[in-house]
Amino acid sequence: MSFAERMLKIDRRIIFVVIGLCTLLPLLYPVGLPIKISQEVRGVYDHIESLPERSVILLSLDFDPASKPELYPQAVAILRHAFKKNLRVVAMTLWVSGTGMADELLTKVANESGKQRGTDFVFLGWSPGGTAVIINMGQDLYNAFPSDYGGKPTRGQPVLEGVNSLKDVIYAVSLGAGNPGVEAWYVFGKDKYKFELGGGCTGVMAPGLYPLLRSGQINGLIGGLRGAAEYESLIGQKGRAVAGMDAQSATHVAIIALVGLCNIFYFSLRRQARQQGSQP
Amino acid sequence: MIFLRRQLPLLITMITGLIFAGQYYVPHPASEQLLTSATKWLQIIGGFALVLGVTSLFQVHAAKIRRKEAGWGYSMVLYAGMLGTMAVGWWANGKESVEGVSTAFGWVYNFMMVPLQGTMFAILAFFIASAAYRSFRARSREAAVLLIAAVIVMMGRVPLGEYLVPVSGDISQWILNVLNASVRRAILIGVSLGAVALSFKIIFGVERSYLGGGKE
Repeated sequence: MSFAERMLKIDRRIIFVVIGLCTLLPLLYPVGLPIKISQEVRGVYDHIESLPERSVILLSLDFDPASKPELYPQAVAILRHAFKKNLRVVAMTLWVSGTGMADELLTKVANESGKQRGTDFVFLGWSPGGTAVIINMGQDLYNAFPSDYGGKPTRGQPVLEGVNSLKDVIYAVSLGAGNPGVEAWYVFGKDKYKFELGGGCTGVMAPGLYPLLRSGQINGLIGGLRGAAEYESLIGQKGRAVAGMDAQSATHVAIIALVGLCNIFYFSLRRQARQQGSQP
Repeated sequence: MIFLRRQLPLLITMITGLIFAGQYYVPHPASEQLLTSATKWLQIIGGFALVLGVTSLFQVHAAKIRRKEAGWGYSMVLYAGMLGTMAVGWWANGKESVEGVSTAFGWVYNFMMVPLQGTMFAILAFFIASAAYRSFRARSREAAVLLIAAVIVMMGRVPLGEYLVPVSGDISQWILNVLNASVRRAILIGVSLGAVALSFKIIFGVERSYLGGGKE
């Protein structure tokens, strides 16, 4: 067996060790390379920045713990921005398995910003029905969520003053890890109830949402950990996402190097086979 | 019986399908009230669907355990996990924390479900790297184009890539905004037209597979 053949059949555990080290070392010894801000992320940031104080924004945390590394930092950054701008935040989730995490996240950022539950923010929790919940909220928010996650009646809470349905929400952001997520919020929410919509998603989902972005169906898109890191840079509060970018950088470069090596060995084998074939 | 099994469901589907397709274009308060009621129904049915799903899962795995099929031990783990979580959920009255103190249900969620789901997702990075090394080869022109595009986008999406090849960020954005968006849009239009056609077929009773099999 030639060297190239042996390298192409390398033990997968060696690749696992390379990826493990590329993830671990930058987390232990961060470099902090500068992050360029994209127009997609700036779209969400600029819109929140332009809202007047006490405007109502809806944050739908449509993800579960599996997507926590990418979407949690996005949610933290948006919440910090919204609370800094003194906006009223109505949060919810369309993913039942993400309910506890969403409540913990909201409570943590609200405490850190000195915001009061019921006055500055409310967590509606989860309700069965998937996309039907969006339509129901568009018709009557109190019908869809008669009480919040803590069991307190939603009607009469100061944070929801003047809000009867999605039509009264100025801006909605869905941070989605799948379906229902950003697309569902456009199809069943924005299209009918005419509010401005921004999106956030995992890195692998981002390319699929570009058509919505280019056509203006969503006004911004925060894609994966990179998007979260850009948002953290924009609000000037660098957190988990910026810290994780070095690890992601190293891992991407390692995968590119591995793919490059694999192709070098593949072509060298192909050339050898051709040479042997042309010999008499 | 045929009427109850076949004609009645088809009739309900046709009437509700046509009403709600038309409802979207009628902003009258009565029409809006109809939508509000229907979506409330949908939410309630969604709740029942959850019960149905859990029951079905229990039945499938109970059969596996009874017949001692391959991997029946995993079904036992599933049973233990589900029943255990339900028990602590009922005990904690469905609350993950009371006055800031985590309940047993909250503990299961935070220290079992969150790390387990996170681990499952994180493992993907290792398998993707291994799979890319073994199979991402420029065997043809099409594969070479895909490989080059993937390398540029991977470089352009991380600060180190942009630092090493400064132009990769702009090229990657162009690939995502122009090439990717146009192809995705074409796929979306195709899928949407297919969904419209399928909806018409269901509404007018041409497509009946949702009714299930069984004797007429």
